[in-house]
Amino acid sequence: MGHSNKIKPLSKTLAASIIKNEIPGDLEKLEIFDEKIKGQMLTDIKASERLKLLKEIDAEKDWKTVKEKIQGSRNPYRFWAYGVAASVVLLVSISIAFVFNNINETPSFEAPIIVNNNIEVGTNKATLTLEDGSAVTLEKGTDYQTANITSNGEEIIYRNNQKAVTNNYNTLTIPRGGQFYILLSDGTKVWLNSESQLKYPVAFKDGETRQVELVYGEAYFDVSPSTDHKGAKFKVLNQSQEVEVLGTEFNIKAYKDEANVYTTLVEGKVAVSTADKNQILVPNQQSNLNLETHTISLAMVDVYNETTWKDGIFSFENKSLKDILKVLSRWYDMDVVIENMVQTEERFIGTFNKSNSIEDILIAIKSTNFINNYEINDKTLTIK
Amino acid sequence: MRGGDHEFTLESYKKLFESLYPQLCVFAYKYLNDLEISKDFVQEVFVKVWEDKITFQNENHATGFFYKAVKNKCLNYLKSKQYKATERYELANIEAYETEEFYMSEAVVIETTAVINKAISQLPEKAAQVIRLSIEDYTNNQIAEELSISVNTVKDHKKVAYRKLRDFLSFLTVK
Repeated sequence: MGHSNKIKPLSKTLAASIIKNEIPGDLEKLEIFDEKIKGQMLTDIKASERLKLLKEIDAEKDWKTVKEKIQGSRNPYRFWAYGVAASVVLLVSISIAFVFNNINETPSFEAPIIVNNNIEVGTNKATLTLEDGSAVTLEKGTDYQTANITSNGEEIIYRNNQKAVTNNYNTLTIPRGGQFYILLSDGTKVWLNSESQLKYPVAFKDGETRQVELVYGEAYFDVSPSTDHKGAKFKVLNQSQEVEVLGTEFNIKAYKDEANVYTTLVEGKVAVSTADKNQILVPNQQSNLNLETHTISLAMVDVYNETTWKDGIFSFENKSLKDILKVLSRWYDMDVVIENMVQTEERFIGTFNKSNSIEDILIAIKSTNFINNYEINDKTLTIK
Repeated sequence: MRGGDHEFTLESYKKLFESLYPQLCVFAYKYLNDLEISKDFVQEVFVKVWEDKITFQNENHATGFFYKAVKNKCLNYLKSKQYKATERYELANIEAYETEEFYMSEAVVIETTAVINKAISQLPEKAAQVIRLSIEDYTNNQIAEELSISVNTVKDHKKVAYRKLRDFLSFLTVK
């Protein structure tokens, strides 16, 4: 077993460093290469020395030759999640610090302990609770249909049906390790993150204020404009605040285990109010309601970091490892135990694709050298 | 999409082929110095992997496997009687080719070149030009001069490019 499996991850981190004009730290750590070779490699890559030849290869054409040869032996393969890997190039930085040796690969770091990895990547799933209290499990492969509702198990759509207007509310509960998309009967789109719950009317009465409740968790709202609903406003209630909008896009994060409620405005205008305060937000502004002190503070933020979770990406900027692990624990439905962490106050910038396996992400985290090692046992991740 | 076993179809094998084949051909060329033979060898490896029903745990494993298989095929050929009979055979070269250092450095240089090329190809034309020059260690001033645009425009293009490449270039670093 040589170093072959490092080719891909190392190339990705190298590419990232070179594009960003950063010093490629991972190459520095590679003791397999002497200094002269490292220098030559960087020179060759930067000068695109192999690019001309690369562009001469016609993969499309040559695939036909290969296809002809293998057709007839149509044996299905078992292939682990290659679809993901091929469609999106995931970049995970791997710290490689091994000593070059013709026979043995000697890692100079402690190897992670994987006892029994039952931590899975999250999926689209939810529980729908109907007005009569009955519960329907929604997940890939389950179809659910009523007069007003259509769901393929991965999203749920409510038809606009004025005849259906009653005082009936449905509830959508997203477990840890889940996410879901809902189209409300007024055309408002809502993306719900892991460990969240939304309560909403089956149909909105024309012309009356539309009201939903984010009971807990995180949701991104793309509200159908008031002008399409005889001026009816849209309100998102939460235990501690109320957000009133006219038609706009915004994100609310109100997790049960966090002492702050964050409302981030992407587009339009919203008013955030609590029992005794009222605050208007402008785009790119985020309000932070502190539930202990009952104060609201405002900050300008990069909305990309706050909202990109709905597009399958976690983007962190200026976050502590603890914060990052908390977000990950919800998507991967895992318990995180921190036994030991170096300088937990350090702030990080990072991007992960939500289709990454937890181990791919942990490799990137470990490569920062701010954790010594980690252990996965069943659904528990222990930082050591 | 979740993990677990996926049926490997002709369609997904094609994706794998397209994502690896060009690099592997250039890689083989570094040993053989003949692009046609290089292509043939890489194609043979792809046929064999399909026929032998070899499976891979993930992308890193698959990539590593193919590079190694192509390397072995090239070295075997260089050491074969057929090659010795037809080509000038230089023992010194073979020894250099057989080192792990040659293998890994060539593989990483080629693969990195391909990753960068793919990343840049996703950018708008102007931003792509700026990044290409930036990779060649041009300063912002030099890029501005080369492309006849202002330094601020260069910076804007870079910002757009990094933003766009952010998802492509997943990473975690200390702020």
